[in-house]
Amino acid sequence: MESSDTYLIRPHHQHKFKPAIVKECIREIVREQLSGVQYDPEEVPQLSRTLADSVKEKVKNAGFERYKLVVQVVIGEQRGQGVKMSSRCLWDADTDNYAEDVYMNDSLFCLVAVFGSYYY
Amino acid sequence: MHSDKKLTKEDTWRPEDLRRYVREGGQGDDRARRRDGSERKHRGGESTERRHRDPEKESRQERDKHRERESTRERRDEDRKDRYVEQRKEGSRDRRGDKERDRRDERDKEKEKRKERDGLVDGKRYSDDYGGNKDRKRDREDRHDRKRDEERHRDKEKDRVRDRERRNREDGDKGREERDKERRKEERDRVHRTERERRRHEDSGDAGRDRIEMYDREQRERHRERERLKDNREDKRTDKERRERHEDRKHSEQKEERGKEYREEHRRHKEERERRHKEGGCDDQKPKHDSDSRVHRDVKRSGEEEKHRLGNRERGDKDKQRERRHREDEDPERKPRDRQHREEEEDPERNHRDKKSVSDQSNKPETTTVKSEVVDEEVVDQEYEDDFEDYEEDFEEMDPSENEGEDEKESEEFPQEGGEREEVTTQKKKEIEAIQRAMNEENERVGTDQSIQSTRREEEDEPKLSRGHEKNHSRASQRGKFIDFVAAKQREFSKKVATKQKKRSTELLRLIDLDFSMTVSLLDLPPVNEYDMYIRTFGTANTKQAYVQCNEDNADRDIQTEEIEVCEKWTQHPPEHSGACGDSNLSQEAQGRNMNETNFDSQRLAAFLHSASQVLVVLLEEDQAERKSLSKLRTQKDTLSFSDGSLQLNTKLPFLYDRPISLVYFSQVQRHTMMSVHAPTTKPSAVRLDSCTIICIWNIWEPSRPQKILVYESEVQCCCFSPGKAILVFAGTSAGSVVLWDLREETSNHYRLNIGEEEWTFRQPTFSTNAVMAASGHFSSVSSVEVVPSTAAGGLRPEVPLLASEEESSGLSFQLASLDESGVLNFWVVVELPKANEAGSPTDLGLRPGGKVKLLHSSSLLTAERVSQRDAVKTGPLQTLHLKFLPSDSNHFFIGTNMGLVNHGTSHSLKATPKFYRFQEAGVRPVDVNSIHFSPFRQNMFLVGCGDGSIRLHTVSQEQPVAEWRDSTAGEPVVSLQWAHTRPTVFCVLDAASNLHVWDLLKKDTEPVVTERISADRVTAMAVFGDSGKQNTYSGIALVHESGKIEMQYFTRDFTVTIPAEEEKLETMMTEAF
Repeated sequence: MESSDTYLIRPHHQHKFKPAIVKECIREIVREQLSGVQYDPEEVPQLSRTLADSVKEKVKNAGFERYKLVVQVVIGEQRGQGVKMSSRCLWDADTDNYAEDVYMNDSLFCLVAVFGSYYY
Repeated sequence: MHSDKKLTKEDTWRPEDLRRYVREGGQGDDRARRRDGSERKHRGGESTERRHRDPEKESRQERDKHRERESTRERRDEDRKDRYVEQRKEGSRDRRGDKERDRRDERDKEKEKRKERDGLVDGKRYSDDYGGNKDRKRDREDRHDRKRDEERHRDKEKDRVRDRERRNREDGDKGREERDKERRKEERDRVHRTERERRRHEDSGDAGRDRIEMYDREQRERHRERERLKDNREDKRTDKERRERHEDRKHSEQKEERGKEYREEHRRHKEERERRHKEGGCDDQKPKHDSDSRVHRDVKRSGEEEKHRLGNRERGDKDKQRERRHREDEDPERKPRDRQHREEEEDPERNHRDKKSVSDQSNKPETTTVKSEVVDEEVVDQEYEDDFEDYEEDFEEMDPSENEGEDEKESEEFPQEGGEREEVTTQKKKEIEAIQRAMNEENERVGTDQSIQSTRREEEDEPKLSRGHEKNHSRASQRGKFIDFVAAKQREFSKKVATKQKKRSTELLRLIDLDFSMTVSLLDLPPVNEYDMYIRTFGTANTKQAYVQCNEDNADRDIQTEEIEVCEKWTQHPPEHSGACGDSNLSQEAQGRNMNETNFDSQRLAAFLHSASQVLVVLLEEDQAERKSLSKLRTQKDTLSFSDGSLQLNTKLPFLYDRPISLVYFSQVQRHTMMSVHAPTTKPSAVRLDSCTIICIWNIWEPSRPQKILVYESEVQCCCFSPGKAILVFAGTSAGSVVLWDLREETSNHYRLNIGEEEWTFRQPTFSTNAVMAASGHFSSVSSVEVVPSTAAGGLRPEVPLLASEEESSGLSFQLASLDESGVLNFWVVVELPKANEAGSPTDLGLRPGGKVKLLHSSSLLTAERVSQRDAVKTGPLQTLHLKFLPSDSNHFFIGTNMGLVNHGTSHSLKATPKFYRFQEAGVRPVDVNSIHFSPFRQNMFLVGCGDGSIRLHTVSQEQPVAEWRDSTAGEPVVSLQWAHTRPTVFCVLDAASNLHVWDLLKKDTEPVVTERISADRVTAMAVFGDSGKQNTYSGIALVHESGKIEMQYFTRDFTVTIPAEEEKLETMMTEAF
């Protein structure tokens, strides 16, 4: 009678969330879309949204199976102010991971963080 | 329905009961409460079932509505009545609080009674049922329901117990038998209650133990069961659960009624089935079972075993019933019918008993208890809930009292089973197997639906454990609300998903560890300080960063300067030679350079060699001459008595050949320098300087050859050296000119002549007054030239040589006086030009080209005329022959004349006293004054030698001589007369007969001490030499012979060593004379 469900609680190695690859993805996209962009408070919300989407799409295609992705994009104006950002996660450190990259030019800074959470 | 809630009790109780309860409360409180729990447990079974069924009863709701209320009320009343009956019965008992148990006991009894009455009642009951005696029917139903509920509940337990027992039968058989016996006994005693009570106390420990054991097993079993069910039909169940729950809530108010309704219907079915059963007969098993049960009943046991089995079947029935409910009762199935039939067997009993109890209790007033429907219903509801809670609590609480309660149940069960087993074990096995088979078949046939339904009940239990209270509230609140099915479905679905996820999460969370330890800093952008901000915004406007790096490949800033060079040097103090400093590397070079320097300084070397060679030559010649002279002196010793030795100058030179030497003169300062004047010869010679006068400058220590050779065309009458160092030579000629030679002139500027193998330099005069200064010059032959002593030197001793420096500086600014025979005295100033002019001076025609020294005519003085004016008548013209200056005062000059007198004059026309110096006898006679010589020691005394051979000694202050010697020369004229330089009283006189007389006034003041006659080679001239300041042995006399040879005779010691009394002798002579 008793049948126990089988769970895949660890991703295959090739499917594991690899921060280096993700970081490269982020960097590529951010470089592409933000180089030479001046900070404009009107456009930045839309920009950050599209950026997050494109990053998500790109990371999705990177082949991290069974991973739920959370992409956080923060774009702020660069006026010499101090900025401090940190994150805290309740997760399974064996499977879950994150990658972040910061892009800065004269007028803005952009932080993209991708959190990958494994879906068992 | 008995409830443990005091309030409820108190509400529903009659005053008597209440009073009694209050009285007894102290004793029985605890127990009562506990027992209530156990009771509730039994009730729970009922209520759950009822609730399960509820949803299906909806269809009949309407129809039964108004009946339901009544029935509920009545049922309750009945319940209460039952209870009251029991309570009344128990009144005599010791433990009155033990109502629940008592009641059960009573029920058992009732059952028994029922059995007995079964036969009688059955028929009546049917008639009743059909007859429409609702009350009774209801009563019966109620009773039946309750009983069935209890049974069902018990069955559930027992089912489990049986399962377990089946497994553990071997282990527990004997024990159980024992226990069964005890229990049987116990139960027997139950008739006699007092007894039984006692025994129960005794057994409680034993039974308790059993009970714990059983309980544990039960728990495990139940858990397992639940787990299985959960796993298998999780999804379905959750679905249904939700639906059920929802429905439950909606219809909670009608539960009671529905329950009744159902029961009623059920009853109807059963009756029908019973009838059918009776008609068609039973299955094989059933009769057996019945007989079994009857056997049990015979042993006065209530049909627990049977009930148990029935319960078991009943569960199946219920499932089927649910199914059946859809199909309606018209299509009953066989087995359920059978079972129901079996139930029906009991039912009559029950009904009968019910009737009986009803009849018992109906006497008593009921109305009081039924205060309000609502209250009752609420109570019922609450009780349902409580039941469910307590049902669980039953298993959790392990109180002894409870155990007792359970104990009874067990004791009811086990005796039956045990007894059965004892008697018909095999039979029972078969029975059980059959039952199981039947169950399986049923399960299979019913399929999923049934299984779902069967599980539902158990599912109900579970959620209720946790949600009991929640439901309680929700049910109460939802009463009377509108029923929204769509929302319910949605909710149900979402709940399903949620539970699914929840389950998933619970299972996964066991496998996975989540951690929360890591905090990741995503971005840390420090604030830019003001300066950087400023620079960023404005700083790059007009600036440009540039830098310069020298030594580019060497960017280290510490070594950008060049290396400091270090080398070793040494030095020496005092620096004695050119190599005063140097180092190890350069010493060779320096030495080489020094070598070069020395090589290059050839001029200095030449100068050095020149002077050195002169010194060497002098030394060599001195040495040679000394040896010669010594040898000669030895030979000539006998000839010259005063001579200590002699030295001959080398005058045998080709150009001096056959020349008579007219004069020999020594320098006053340089005592070793001598010059000899060689008169021109008349004989022709190889040398063409015949007509010239040659003057040779000799260094007496270098006798081999003359130092310088001076030539002049005319005959030189007189000559003298410059004062101080002998660098200038003055000469007066017979032609009346005064000539001057500068001995410092270079030999290259003069005429050089090779005579024989040697080269000789003949110096022409540097300056000559000949024909240049005709107006101021001499018109007659110059008889004497004399240097005017300087005034500075006037006060000093004339013998003392001036310092070289003085001579150099002052020596060239002196006066020269020249006297000719006519008595003209000229004074000349000797001037040295600062620079020589090689081309010759256009103004100074007397100056030789390249010459630097010339004579300027200073003044002219005629001295002879005065004398001549006085004496011209007698003696003829006066001739001035000789000139001398007073060494102490240059203004006074003394001129020897041809009249035998010495005139005394002054250069500045001052009166000079005495005017002249004469002979001792008065009168003038024509006698030439040939020689005047001042004494070097007593400067105011001078000697005069005359032509008649007489010698006079004068002092400056007296006209008359101090002494006069007339015949010392035997009438021969005195040629020369000179004081000795080393002794004041010694003087030498040479006469024309070549006789040399040496006078020593200290020894002999009348005649000479030595008179030498040189007859072989006549001596024509002589000069005394020697240094008065030095008392050396080199003072002597130079003798010039007629042959032209110059012979240096050294004085003997007698004439050179000074005698202290000499000057006093002169002094005394002067005083004696005046």
